Amino acid sequence: MKKLIVTLCFIIVNQLVFAQQTNNTISIEFKDISRMEAIQLIESKTPYKFYFDLDWIQADKSLISGAYRNVTIESLLNSVFSKTTLNFIVLQNKIILTNNSLIYDKLAANYFATPTNTSVKNPNITTENPVFYRQYDSVNNYKKNSTITFIGKETKKDTTHFYLLSGYIKNAITQKPEPDIAVRVKSKNISTVTDKEGYYILKVPGGINTIETTSIIHQKIIKTVMVYKDGKLDIEVADKANQLDEIIVHNKEKRAVETVISGLVSIDIKNIKNIPLILGELDILKVATTFPGIKTTGEGSAGFNVRGGKEDQNLILLDNAVLYNPQHFFGFFSAINPYTASKANIYKGSIPTEFGGRLSSVFEVITKNGDSEKVSGEGGIGIITSNISVSFPVIKNKASLLVGARSTYSDWVLKSLNDESLKKSEAGFYDGIIKYNHTIDKKNAVELTLNYSHDRFRLTSDSLYKYSNRLAALKWDHTFNKKNKAALIFTNSEYKFNIDYDTEGTNAFDFGYKIDEKQVLLKFNTLLNDKHKLNYGLSSKLYNIDPGFLSPKKTESLLLPINIQSEKGLESALYVSDEFKVSNKLLINYGLRYSFYASLGESTQRVYAPNVPLNDATVIGENHFAKNEVIKTFNGIEPRFAARYSFTDSFSIKASYDKTYQFIHLLSNNVTQSPTDSWKLSDSNVDPQSAQQYSLGLYKNLNDDILELSLEGYYKRSKNILDYKVGAQLVLNKNIETELLQGQGKAYGIELLLKKQMGRLNGWLGYSYSRTYIKMDSEFNEEKVNNGNYFPANFDKPHDVTAVLNYKLTKRYSISSNFVYQTGRPITYPIGAYVYNNAEYTLYSDRNKYRIEDYYRLDIGVNIEGNHKIKKLAHSFWNISIYNVLGRSNPYSVYFVTENDGQIKAYKTSIFSIPIPSITYNFKF
Amino acid sequence: MIATQIKFKKMKKHLSRKIVILLLLLCSFITNGCTETYILQTNTFEEVLVVEATITNELKKQEIKITKTARFEDTETKTEAQAEVYITDDSGNKYDFEEQSEKYVSKLEFEAIPGRKYTLTINTNDGRSYKSSAEALTTVNELEEINATVDIKNGERGVAIHVNSYDPTNNSKYYRYEYEETYKIVAPQWTREKLVVLDPRTVDRVPNSPETEICYSTKNNTALLLASTAEQKSDRVNYLVRFISDQNYIISHRYSILVKQYVESLAAYTFYSTLKKTSGNGSLLSQNQPGFFYGNLKSVDNTNEKIIGFFDVASVSSKRFFFNYSDLFPKEPLPPYYTECDIESYLFCFGFGEKCKGEELIEKIENHTLTYAYRIGPDSPFTYYLYPTPCGDCTSFSSNIKPSFWID
Repeated sequence: MKKLIVTLCFIIVNQLVFAQQTNNTISIEFKDISRMEAIQLIESKTPYKFYFDLDWIQADKSLISGAYRNVTIESLLNSVFSKTTLNFIVLQNKIILTNNSLIYDKLAANYFATPTNTSVKNPNITTENPVFYRQYDSVNNYKKNSTITFIGKETKKDTTHFYLLSGYIKNAITQKPEPDIAVRVKSKNISTVTDKEGYYILKVPGGINTIETTSIIHQKIIKTVMVYKDGKLDIEVADKANQLDEIIVHNKEKRAVETVISGLVSIDIKNIKNIPLILGELDILKVATTFPGIKTTGEGSAGFNVRGGKEDQNLILLDNAVLYNPQHFFGFFSAINPYTASKANIYKGSIPTEFGGRLSSVFEVITKNGDSEKVSGEGGIGIITSNISVSFPVIKNKASLLVGARSTYSDWVLKSLNDESLKKSEAGFYDGIIKYNHTIDKKNAVELTLNYSHDRFRLTSDSLYKYSNRLAALKWDHTFNKKNKAALIFTNSEYKFNIDYDTEGTNAFDFGYKIDEKQVLLKFNTLLNDKHKLNYGLSSKLYNIDPGFLSPKKTESLLLPINIQSEKGLESALYVSDEFKVSNKLLINYGLRYSFYASLGESTQRVYAPNVPLNDATVIGENHFAKNEVIKTFNGIEPRFAARYSFTDSFSIKASYDKTYQFIHLLSNNVTQSPTDSWKLSDSNVDPQSAQQYSLGLYKNLNDDILELSLEGYYKRSKNILDYKVGAQLVLNKNIETELLQGQGKAYGIELLLKKQMGRLNGWLGYSYSRTYIKMDSEFNEEKVNNGNYFPANFDKPHDVTAVLNYKLTKRYSISSNFVYQTGRPITYPIGAYVYNNAEYTLYSDRNKYRIEDYYRLDIGVNIEGNHKIKKLAHSFWNISIYNVLGRSNPYSVYFVTENDGQIKAYKTSIFSIPIPSITYNFKF
Repeated sequence: MIATQIKFKKMKKHLSRKIVILLLLLCSFITNGCTETYILQTNTFEEVLVVEATITNELKKQEIKITKTARFEDTETKTEAQAEVYITDDSGNKYDFEEQSEKYVSKLEFEAIPGRKYTLTINTNDGRSYKSSAEALTTVNELEEINATVDIKNGERGVAIHVNSYDPTNNSKYYRYEYEETYKIVAPQWTREKLVVLDPRTVDRVPNSPETEICYSTKNNTALLLASTAEQKSDRVNYLVRFISDQNYIISHRYSILVKQYVESLAAYTFYSTLKKTSGNGSLLSQNQPGFFYGNLKSVDNTNEKIIGFFDVASVSSKRFFFNYSDLFPKEPLPPYYTECDIESYLFCFGFGEKCKGEELIEKIENHTLTYAYRIGPDSPFTYYLYPTPCGDCTSFSSNIKPSFWID
């Protein structure tokens, strides 16, 4: 196209000399004929020959009439083409028609502009330079598949800068109008949204403009338009599901630079399939840890540390219900079925007021809805696990069911091994999910999610460990009117673990723990006006904890049965927040959450003397509370504030302040979270935790949103963070409060993220520098750690670099890589030995004074898409990946053992010290 | 309960190692050692004073031990020498200590008196200064009784030695025990004759000394023995201070135990129990929270300087108890001797024949590794039969001096 135009220009310039000479007059009459017929008529009556593209003329079916006497060919043609976008030039006997463009017979004065141009300009007359193709040539951001659309007819005299561009947006397949699609002019801060009929109107500057549509469910359309005058641009959009070839992680709903929330990581599961992961398993939570600010203590750790928060400070939600243990197999797999999850939002900075109860973050995982039109499914076959999910319509276009299941077959692998001790082992997990969604009518929709995951492992012949998550969520969405919506949600979550110790001796026992949570949520959304969006609601949660029992399995057992009294608590909250669009540039979101917690009976609570350490000696009495009697209440107001100021359309700054309370604590004196860690509720002797976070971020999109750059910083203070006295015993402890310390925490950090969302090379690079400290101070030695000074927390890893890169070689082959580097985590080191009372003891350093070696790892994967035949049973792809290509033996644990000769030896355990290959076959039908 | 917890730990430890192996096998089908020795950082050593100081209500020369922490590779514990050590009380008394054979011993006899508060001060030779908090004597409570019964513990039969104590005022609550056990040893293969080497190729039988047949060994406890009655309604202790398997040779004849009961303050009890908890090894999945912890001693000048130990002012009472094997296990065979007593034969001749073991016999007699039993053969060469030395001579590993407290 471009070449053709350039050639055309040359021809024209060469002929210029003769152009002005043909001034013969013509008399002609038209009556209700098409322009095509008019041209033919002119050709028959005059020596002029027309040169044009047939499509231009045939596109216009309107008929013309008119009688002309002794007019020049120019005025005749001006009249004929007056209502079209066609321009013409008369060259001797040739008439060349052009669509939109005007062929200039002189170049604009400043076409070859030099800085020394001395032309005098009259400021009172707006002379607009003609828009030349040269401008188009220099637009370096046009897309490979985009062609230029010309809008309006260019005129020689034009004094307006802005034109109206309007049109309809239709679905490419259904041809129905598409409402609520954002249409904007790139880099120009001009945007609008289509109305019910799919109509939009934009005021755009003349010249080249890049028009872009954005919508959650549709593919993004980018059109480059050359605007000469007011004009029409109809756009067809396709559903997004049809395309997932380039974007890895894409914040589809809104550009990060536009939203008010800082510290939000959105992951779309559909788009993470290329990342090489351990054992070929897709894992939404593992992907989360590749973003700055989200870390794990190490390989095989079940928990996450978000911006210096402890493992128990993350609210992990699956369709609004809390998932207590999000991991399988000590954290090597996540308990969330990757094929049924649709996306995850991780709020690590400002947390919307609708969420509460945890200090550091919210992991909001949303399950896919089933396909209500046809049966479809997908699955994966890997070396350890296989899974399948099938979706089918229950009531066509109204209700659907999605069923997903996953299981390991590691038992079979273990049994086939030659090693005797491994033959007796078993290890495995399974999980299943059912999601039903039903659109009752335009105003009501119901959704039900049921999820169950189960793990079991037997690594010695006599002990069987089991743990399971069970959750259910029922949601009813109701739309009152255009401006008011509500959702009523019921959830129930249960987590339990059990150790069945079945020894041959008399000491066989059964040990278990269980937590159950029931919740009701009522959420409202009100669109007050263009400027105010309100979110408000209430929630209430009832916890029931059975903190542990131990029952001997044999009657002759010397073990005493133990049953720790159960715990009960009611956590309720009211919240309201307003998203206030102060101006186009300033958007704020402010709100309050009021949390109220009551610890409930039946219970016997010890009373300790005030202001002394809690221990057996400071007990001054006991109080008994009847069933459901309030033991103690706590409440607090949690202000949440976030603001975004846009300097330009692609550059903004955000600030936020958040306060959070947490009434439930995970007891874990391990460095890493383990499945047998138990949750404890606040009561008269354990106070709730609280935190305040201040964050500030800069967001910049470069190259028309192809590159997203963000820099975020935060500072966090927390109170009543749990820690443990030296040598604390947490399992089956009736008076656990005597082992606990509650201290202060402080954390700060900066996070840098560069994302490239499209192109053959895409992915992201992240870096964070963060520090986390805690302080346990008291006037009593027993309650002091490191003499009451701040010390680095177990998960304090200052430097963290991640790079996830994906390169598409061809349509079928792509390679991806994942690199992680982290500073080694702190460790309490044995620094010497001493003798006390004739026995030898180890002297330890200050808590977390030293560090283990740094962690780094590189994974590489290759994805091979199945063939692209149209008629095939299933769409498939292979994923071949190698985990830890460098074979780095990263320490999982460093521990110290006193050998028989009294020597202390240090050992390092690595989980994957060699490259681990894996292969997975994924299919879709 | 403690037993259960230990079991947990053991299980977990075992388990976690296996997870690693299992994962490796699962993932790669290659067994690659994944636990490896980790080189300890060597520049981490800190020299810290270790103070063992228990002052009691017993009138005697009180003793305090001040040692230093050692590097892991060191085998000896060094004493902090030439320190100035004294105790003061709130009545203005000062008790000076002097260094005596790696200990600090009070110059004069004294006892802790109820109601007074005592403070320990240590000034080291290089100018560092440490002070304890002021401690008062704990409730005086007599150890009531010691008894020994045949019982089963962890599936093993043996003698359970319990101590009983009762404080009607319910003030004692925290107890620490120490014991010293002494047992009679009879060399099972003692004979009236022994072999002596006359020249490199001649041995002779001479009368054996009766002094080598019966011995007495004394051992102290090493583990910390702690009991608490805080959770009980009454301050009554029935504490298993010692359990001896019925297969342990030390109870073969006559056994005696001296149990000392210290009534501890809560702070002292907390210190000792923390010390006890940290001595056990943690495991991979349930690591014991390691760390440094202070007793009641602090550096005067630098509050961040570490010092280990507790200045304990505790009331003490003790009792001795005896029992015979036949009292508890009538008509039962004795437990096996502490070492195997397998007889060995030596054909006393010299030469290249495989059967001649004359040189070896002489060497073993001179090295005291074997003790004579009997010989066979009317004529030369004799065959000599011998036992490992401890079977016929208990002085080889014990003492034949009867302790002064011993009552047969």
